[in-house]
Amino acid sequence: MPALRIPTTPLFALWTALVLLFLFAPLVLVVLFSFNTSEISIFPIRGFTLEWYGRLAANTTFRAALANSFIVAGATVILATALGVAMATGVHRYAARWRTVLRSASSVPMMVPHLILGIALLSFFNIVEADLSLLTVIAGHSIVAFPYVFLIISARLVGFDPSVEEAARDLGASTLTIFLEITLPLLAPAILAAALISFTLSFDEVVVTFFTTGTDNTLPMMIWSMLRFGITPEINAIATLTIVVSCVMAGLAEIAIRRARTTADRRQ
Amino acid sequence: MTRRGLAAATAFLAPPGLWIAVFFVLPMATIVLLSFWRVVDYDIVADFTLANYQKLFRPLYLDVFWRTIKVSLLVTVISLLIGYPVAYYLARKTKRFRVTLLVLVILPLWTSYLVRTYAWMLILGTKGAVNQGLQAVGLTSEPIAWLLYSDFAVTLALVHIYVPYLILPLYSVLEKLDPSLFEAAKDLGGGRWRTFWHVTLPLSLPGVATGCLFVFIPSMGSFVTPELLGGTRSILIGSIVAQQFGVAFEYPLGSAMALAIMGIILLAAVALLRAGRPAGVA
Repeated sequence: MPALRIPTTPLFALWTALVLLFLFAPLVLVVLFSFNTSEISIFPIRGFTLEWYGRLAANTTFRAALANSFIVAGATVILATALGVAMATGVHRYAARWRTVLRSASSVPMMVPHLILGIALLSFFNIVEADLSLLTVIAGHSIVAFPYVFLIISARLVGFDPSVEEAARDLGASTLTIFLEITLPLLAPAILAAALISFTLSFDEVVVTFFTTGTDNTLPMMIWSMLRFGITPEINAIATLTIVVSCVMAGLAEIAIRRARTTADRRQ
Repeated sequence: MTRRGLAAATAFLAPPGLWIAVFFVLPMATIVLLSFWRVVDYDIVADFTLANYQKLFRPLYLDVFWRTIKVSLLVTVISLLIGYPVAYYLARKTKRFRVTLLVLVILPLWTSYLVRTYAWMLILGTKGAVNQGLQAVGLTSEPIAWLLYSDFAVTLALVHIYVPYLILPLYSVLEKLDPSLFEAAKDLGGGRWRTFWHVTLPLSLPGVATGCLFVFIPSMGSFVTPELLGGTRSILIGSIVAQQFGVAFEYPLGSAMALAIMGIILLAAVALLRAGRPAGVA
């Protein structure tokens, strides 16, 4: 039926724009309210203020939560990245036959909702009588971030030329030397991306934290308790801070992944 | 494998393997075990019982399970309807803005779902942006109460949070489709709709299946969003599970519920991945 041909591309473009608006409008709203002089988060915006950010800076609960968030996210980055890189390289190099199976197995934790991971960890720590603290939170976050690291690194290893490592081996380099001098530098951009993603995942995680933390609060936990037990005007400022941190980290990760791809293409 | 090779393989694979075993496999095994145990006087007793699973069939719990499945399916279907045209546009209709638009789809995905849920409280509340807007233009004289603390609010927010998870895998499948297929369909006189139904859609099914799964799984296990936006009118199973691990102190019952959720997720995964197996162009 070629009689009526409406150009569809602009319609698709319009639809995509509307979906992006749907995705971003709520976030923009939170950011807007964080600068609003009014104590309650309703329109109209009365005026511009930095008061809520100022109050946060002076708030000791907030400062403790922020410090805890950075401690947990930092430790998660180190753990998840180290374990994920080791697993991905190991699987790629030594377990070629089971590669597909091991890849699927490593992404299993991704398929478990955070709620279930949280209660499972809580039950486990309860049975082994481990005290809940930031350490247990870090253990939980490392499981959340691990599959992402593994997938990012594995994807990079697929386009890897094995002859480089073989040449090094023929020249007498040890496994450790090869890993440190050849594999790691080649993987560097992917590792950076994985580390940044781990940071965001941990920095924003609330459900696993909720079940695995003792008395220490992280930033998302502080937002959570505010929402449950009493909102103060500072909440928009805290929320905005977490949005900014996540967006910056994810944006940098995206750049790192793209850079990794282009350097790999150039090399081939 | 040589001895040196074996040692190296162990050095790489043993530490992460062990870590995952201790902090993922053992905890998951713990709730399987717990689900067959019972609580006596606020103490978990290792005493085999099927009572926890029997309790799941109480009308109250069946109701909540059913509502959770319905909401999760609805979230998945709406996400597919909203997300498919976006993935299609990104993969096949634009070249110039592709990277920028992709990054824009990915960014919200990395922002906290707690914060995004909170944002919907601001929008849907009785003094929220939507109600203020409606009253300002005179469409309603009183705030609409069911916007917040309802299935509607939970569904809307879950779609908002998880739709990027659907767009991305769908995009990567659509992007890899061979353009010559579409030219062939055109040359053979297939209209746009026929090309879509007989070529594009069947070939994109693996992406549809993966995407739907990525939305359905976290929706089934959602806790923060229904807890904050569902109120007492829209309670999903996640909140009931969380209660068992809080004041109720019913770890065994909570574990049985969690495993039932995993069972539903597994069924959905098998069904979806089966349906999404790449079929021939028929």
